[in-house]
Amino acid sequence: MKFVVLVKQVPDTNEVEVDEETGTIIREGVPSVLNAFDEFALNVAVDLKEKIDKEVEIIALSMGPPQAEEALNKCLAIGADRAILLTDKIFAGADTWATAVTLGRALKKIGEVDLIFAGQEASDGNTAQVGPEVAAHQGISQLTYVTEIEDFDPEVGEIICRKEIDEGHLMVKGDMPLLLACMPRPDFEPKIPNIREIMKAKKKRKETWSYEDLGGDEEDYGLEGSESVVIKTYSPPPKGEGIKIDEEPERAVEKLLRFLDEEGIL
Amino acid sequence: MAETDLSDERGLTEEQKLFRESISDWGERNLPLERVIEMNREGHPFPEDIIQGLADLGVIMGPVPEEHGGMGLSWKDQSIIEEQIGYIDPSIATAAGFMAVETGWGFTINRYCNEEIREKYIKPAIRGEKFVGIATTEPKGGSDVAGFESTAEKDGDEWVLNGEKTFISGVEECQKIGGGYWVNVRTGPKIDEAPHKNMTAFFVPIDTDGLEPQEPYDDAGRGSLSTSGFVMNDVRVPEKYMLGEQGKGFYYTMEGFDNARIMIGASAVGVTRRILEEAADYIKERETFGRPLAKYEAIQFPFVERYTEMEASKLMVRKTAEMQDVRYDETGWGEKTGDPKTYKPTEIAKWISMIKYKVPHLAKDTADDAMHWLGAAGYSSEYVFETAWRGVMSYCVGAEGGANIQKIVIGRETLGKDYVPYK
Repeated sequence: MKFVVLVKQVPDTNEVEVDEETGTIIREGVPSVLNAFDEFALNVAVDLKEKIDKEVEIIALSMGPPQAEEALNKCLAIGADRAILLTDKIFAGADTWATAVTLGRALKKIGEVDLIFAGQEASDGNTAQVGPEVAAHQGISQLTYVTEIEDFDPEVGEIICRKEIDEGHLMVKGDMPLLLACMPRPDFEPKIPNIREIMKAKKKRKETWSYEDLGGDEEDYGLEGSESVVIKTYSPPPKGEGIKIDEEPERAVEKLLRFLDEEGIL
Repeated sequence: MAETDLSDERGLTEEQKLFRESISDWGERNLPLERVIEMNREGHPFPEDIIQGLADLGVIMGPVPEEHGGMGLSWKDQSIIEEQIGYIDPSIATAAGFMAVETGWGFTINRYCNEEIREKYIKPAIRGEKFVGIATTEPKGGSDVAGFESTAEKDGDEWVLNGEKTFISGVEECQKIGGGYWVNVRTGPKIDEAPHKNMTAFFVPIDTDGLEPQEPYDDAGRGSLSTSGFVMNDVRVPEKYMLGEQGKGFYYTMEGFDNARIMIGASAVGVTRRILEEAADYIKERETFGRPLAKYEAIQFPFVERYTEMEASKLMVRKTAEMQDVRYDETGWGEKTGDPKTYKPTEIAKWISMIKYKVPHLAKDTADDAMHWLGAAGYSSEYVFETAWRGVMSYCVGAEGGANIQKIVIGRETLGKDYVPYK
């Protein structure tokens, strides 16, 4: 069986600075890490592999600049068997659709894949679009907000997942091939690779694929292949301190109503 | 973890970066500063969950070859691991017990032991199931390594050991989980002009009849790791438990010290960085007379001086570890297979003595400074500075070799043998 985990390297900071001219995130001097959502997805894939009595190859697939190899090294230490980095100047500036196209072409080149795991979103863009778009591009089903795999029957090709929704959770059944967009559980503690696993990862298969390897029209990729245009990227202005009503409930409601009335909200 | 990050990963390999990341993540989860302070306060024996965690992480005896149960890491790799161990536990107890002692000395035991010791003690110690350590110091002293008095006499295919060893790390832990010690004894008469001759090393299991562990000392610091000793009354060990060749114990001991001291230098770099980061968080935040402490030159300047010294020390430790790697590449990582060519062992010993002398003092002085910067808060065990200060002091006063002994080695290698003070 073959599992592919889609991963992204993201800036390790909450205080992202934006280049005002280009509208892109300034990455220079900011340390990068494996996107936590993707790390969770990889952990789900590795746990599943350990549970099933079948030979499984886990491939970590990423699109990014050459330094994204660091994130893939971590994936190999955590338990991926093989890593592929899609890197080329032609891929640069891709929006979610062009990213999905690029990843999709790589998936075609990889061949038959049983399960695709993706993080629900990336902590830098937070679009939550790439996973579902890859599924659409591949013409396969998808389950989103997956927090746990409850049951998996590799012979029948059926998987039952726990999916978080606002009101609670759903147990959803899907048929392979399938894409799972994974959402870390609050109690999730990522696997910490030990020294032996890190050293073992050094010997695992790592590949770099460029435009030449994926083929197709150049205009399908990167900025040119993007359907959306970023007009402006900015940090929202901080919210004010707000008003705190610190009274007994009856008096507090009275005060609140008066305030809402005065402000013309009611 | 402190908000201030003074780490600098430039020059590290991808694997070394991941080592650091894994140890940091593990430390944050299992050994936060609150636990370090609590462990130091509660005292020994060292918690077994942390020993197991270190073993599961794969940080114990990393340079032991893979075929002997280790990871086959370089000393440079291990020094980077060790730096991070010192960072997560600035009380230095973890580094002392499991890096300096188990890794530095355990690696050296593995080079000279037979397959039985390897299977029964080295491999289980790497897995966290046993403890191996070093016992050289005697009640008459420790710095005079060749001046010891314990003896061993041959009786058939056994050796009978008598004497006393003291200020030994980890005896209580070793009793608790099992294991044994490298013990130096005299197997021939003491030759006054060459007292290091006739010194032989044995591996002695802690549960051997006649070996009587003593009550642990009430040390000033690194409280979670025991320090005590043992008396040997007709302790019988088989001939095959001799480490290496008879009469060569002194040379093996110097090699063990070399490895342990690299670990100490590296851990003290980590301790210093942790102190500086924790202190930086405080002095940037805390205001007196309307401005943050960090804006006062009286605080900022010593801070940057210590930071500069830490970066210099880090480079020294890594250079020294690289020299040790060259040595083992040439002489063999497991059993001895060749002779050193690139560096004379005394040349490497000079660098090792420089880091052993310099870096623990830097860590201690930095903790001392930080306590001054924080005032009463720094003096309190609410912060880690006093815990660190008391812990690293052990490596200033003498553990793994006193500062003045290191200076004699450095002096001998720079000014020449004619200027050795004791001759």
